[in-house]
Amino acid sequence: MAFTHKRWWFTLGMLLLILPLGACARSEAASRTRVVFWHEMTGPGQEQLKQFAKEFNASQSKYRVEPQFEGNYNEAVQKILHTHGTSASPAVFQSMDVSTSQLYHAKVATPMQHFIDADHYDINKISPVARAFYSQKDSQISMPFNTSQPVLYYNASLLKRLGIKAPPVDPSYSDITRVAKAISAKSHGKVKGLTVEEYGWLFEQFMANSNEHLANHEDGRTGIPTKVHLNTPGTQAAMKWVRENIKAGDFIDYGAGSQAESNEIAAFLAGKLGIFTQSSAYISQLLAGTKDELGITYYPHQDGKPRNGVAVGGASLWISNDKPKAVQQGAWEFVKYVMTAKAQAQWQAATGYLALNKDSQTQPILQKLYKQHPSAQVPSQQLATIKANTANSGVFMEGVIQERNLAQTAMAQIYNGTDINKALAVAEKGLNDSVANTNRANHYK
Amino acid sequence: MLQSLPRNSNSKDPGAQSAPVRLSTTAQWSKDNLYVAIFLGPSLLILSVFVFWPMIKTLYLSLFLTDNLGHASVFVGLNNYMSLFNNPAYLSSLGATLMYVIAVSVLTIILGMLLAVAAQQRLRGIRFFRTIFSSTMGISVSVAAIFWLFAFNPSVGVFAQISQALHLPEINWLADPHFALLAVIMTTVWMNLGFTFLILFGALQQLPASLFEAAEIAGVGKTTQFFKISLPLISPTLFFVLIVTLIDAFKSFGLIDLMTVGGPNNATNLLVYRVYQDAFLNGNYGLASTESVVLTAIIAVITLIQFKLLGKRVNY
Amino acid sequence: MEMSQPATTGTNVANAKKVGQYVLLLFLTFLVLGPFLLGLWTSLMPTADISKGALWSSHISLDNYVAAITTTPILRYLLNSLVISTLTMLFQVLLCSMSAYAFVFLKFKYRKQLFMLFLMTMMLPFEAEVIPNFSTVRSLGLLNHYAAMVIPFLTAAFGTFMLRQAFMQMPVELKEAADVEGLSHWQFYWHLALPYTKVSLMTLAAYSFLSSWNQYLWPMLTTFSDSFRPVQDGLRQLQGQESFNNWGMIQASAAIVVIPTLIILFVGQHYFKAGLNEGAVK
Repeated sequence: MAFTHKRWWFTLGMLLLILPLGACARSEAASRTRVVFWHEMTGPGQEQLKQFAKEFNASQSKYRVEPQFEGNYNEAVQKILHTHGTSASPAVFQSMDVSTSQLYHAKVATPMQHFIDADHYDINKISPVARAFYSQKDSQISMPFNTSQPVLYYNASLLKRLGIKAPPVDPSYSDITRVAKAISAKSHGKVKGLTVEEYGWLFEQFMANSNEHLANHEDGRTGIPTKVHLNTPGTQAAMKWVRENIKAGDFIDYGAGSQAESNEIAAFLAGKLGIFTQSSAYISQLLAGTKDELGITYYPHQDGKPRNGVAVGGASLWISNDKPKAVQQGAWEFVKYVMTAKAQAQWQAATGYLALNKDSQTQPILQKLYKQHPSAQVPSQQLATIKANTANSGVFMEGVIQERNLAQTAMAQIYNGTDINKALAVAEKGLNDSVANTNRANHYK
Repeated sequence: MLQSLPRNSNSKDPGAQSAPVRLSTTAQWSKDNLYVAIFLGPSLLILSVFVFWPMIKTLYLSLFLTDNLGHASVFVGLNNYMSLFNNPAYLSSLGATLMYVIAVSVLTIILGMLLAVAAQQRLRGIRFFRTIFSSTMGISVSVAAIFWLFAFNPSVGVFAQISQALHLPEINWLADPHFALLAVIMTTVWMNLGFTFLILFGALQQLPASLFEAAEIAGVGKTTQFFKISLPLISPTLFFVLIVTLIDAFKSFGLIDLMTVGGPNNATNLLVYRVYQDAFLNGNYGLASTESVVLTAIIAVITLIQFKLLGKRVNY
Repeated sequence: MEMSQPATTGTNVANAKKVGQYVLLLFLTFLVLGPFLLGLWTSLMPTADISKGALWSSHISLDNYVAAITTTPILRYLLNSLVISTLTMLFQVLLCSMSAYAFVFLKFKYRKQLFMLFLMTMMLPFEAEVIPNFSTVRSLGLLNHYAAMVIPFLTAAFGTFMLRQAFMQMPVELKEAADVEGLSHWQFYWHLALPYTKVSLMTLAAYSFLSSWNQYLWPMLTTFSDSFRPVQDGLRQLQGQESFNNWGMIQASAAIVVIPTLIILFVGQHYFKAGLNEGAVK
């Protein structure tokens, strides 16, 4: 019995030893104001953010920014809403484009305009297209930070080896089908032609590029949406295009989620996949991962119709309003830091997100990148040649995560043989029901 | 080490009948009440706050639409339930869960039994094999997911490499709705094996050797011995394992989250994952509460069956 | 080793049978260990080779382990899990044994009903109650803290049930003798009941430690930083933030996590077997 006792006390003693260890690690930076920064960046993006925090912390002695990874964009939104007002909440956070409406209505952040005005910050340096996405009534809600363009990647060296003509820079669906078919045929099935991830964001881009609104009231820009459309001529055409490639056996389906993205990139880098559509944010990884020449084109568009342009995707930075003034000020200093011309140029070079500071393009690091890889300029060119309208500026609506899930499911169904019209109609009905409930529950008219 | 679990719940305890006798006279009641408060109070408090109250709250929320901060906002009666059972996606989730639960339980028990029988043999080094067979008990959900994600990987996984080498059609396990659930089932069964093996092995070990010696003399074959003697005798343990596996399978979340995030095409969107998705991704707490109530009802029924059947042997 | 035996027909058949049995055992071993060995093997290979689909590499090393330990918070995750699981285990053994004691040795009104209430909680899955529980720990200010992952699990109906069975198996004479000696309930509980049911307590301890160690959904909802994140969710985190899979390092992290539990399991098995025997002798 005494033996048992000893054992218990031993364990307890161990615990008492261990617990303060945790406390020590936390109190080390007590002299500085702690600024917790939540982000959803992975891979090189995460590395670069850690680097920014490190540099920022070294550049001054008042604040200490602590970056914390919070999973994917979808997870982060509810985490932000849930923790607001508790000690667990962040001081500054990154949140995706389509969550803007929800966070705005939930009133969890101090408007960025507040800091811009107080600091006489020159906001004109920041890309107006990106700024417009995150402002309401000429007031900046949040700071656009990582902005990407959906693009189409192809393995240019592989095409050369197989003797296939590269797709044009502004391809139509049939242009891509031609190339995908050729890859499949000439490699004797060893290389898959094409993949389009089951991903609601890509689905939205098909709509934007076909000049179609997902939600009424001009995608929510002129009022709270009450009706949504997922089953449109544009989405039908896009899905038919994919279906055509599936039937011919040139298409490979990697599924959905981060696993799918990892797998498609791994396959592309290993030369087992010829073409895929994805965010421009992957450029640096793709350039670093293979010796093959990387080809990039604009996001493909419907045959016989001009492209309307795709939305700027990505996320913005928000400053929580539940933290003391000093913490919020620290958050603002950090936001300013990452928006400098130098930081933004570094950001684009490290990731593939577009530099949003107008002075970034002349920074040596970008000049060097463009010289080495001319294709790295394609996303910015795509953005520059888009005429902004409400169909290609993203959806300003709550419950877009629901939309993404539904669209993703519809894509999965279609890829696996369900009738296109049926799958899209089911998704559309599901989303309309959900929008109706959301509006009712929040007493929106 | 968990061998004693089923034994505990199966064994007859002579003390049970005499328990009331053992208690002191009524004179001690008031003094005992202080002890009751001390001994029972903390547990009762915890269970009230984290089990009973949440159940009531969940039932309540299931009757409402919730606003974007998760507060009950519009009373809708049983509407959430109606829309749930009219939603083909939810019904397919329910179907997938049933398929998963049944497949996992059956396969776990068959394979666990195979391991337990194999480990009965008196061979040199058998202890080594017994240790190996129980080893997946020490493997947690995220570790298991990582091992199997790699095995299922379409470019570098072993399954892909085997089918390539044999010129079989390539299966994209986790992205193909026909195979994703199977992949998760395989992983779950593998994870369950260690525990199931330990318990079934323990039960087989405790069977009296004399029975088998008698059977041997009577010329009864090994197979018949197994089906006619071993199986009936360990049926209480088998039942215990079945219930534990069933309930665990209904509560599966980790592997889904790590391996398939409910996809493709909701093929692996099991009940708990759906609750998580609707509450913590979509912010639809009313609907998620409704789904929680359905899940609770299912598990409650299975547990009740367990109590009923165990009750025949165990005294409460 | 069996080959030295004289080769009579009988032993030949027996030998053939033995070989067959070993083949079966080895096959089952392969099934059980396969995924684990594959993971362990790849954890020693450079990711570049793994991505090519190679199963062999000329650069076998522990580099991935070094990378996992130096570039990821994997050790911190392990520490967090250790703290959470140990606390949960200690409290569960204490509180469950106390409530079980009350149900066996104390007489009070509604005892039966209260026990039924306890049993009922076994029917209510925690997974179905995460929404209100989240609001509770949120309003208690426990989010992103060890407390959020320990307090809801301080006690368990299952443990109470199990220990109640164990207490009921104590000989009646023991309690009678204690009453004669004038031992208080606390004394009887601490000095006789607990030592007597040591094996069951150990079993419950192992069980509660393992279930706490394997918690996944709840910590995922309530932790927001690496300072408190337990290892299961830590691995999810590591895997999620590698945007194109660094398989070598991920497998190494998994191995770092699994090897200690396996060692505990193997060492513990011996100990618990001894404990079981000891319990049987008493």
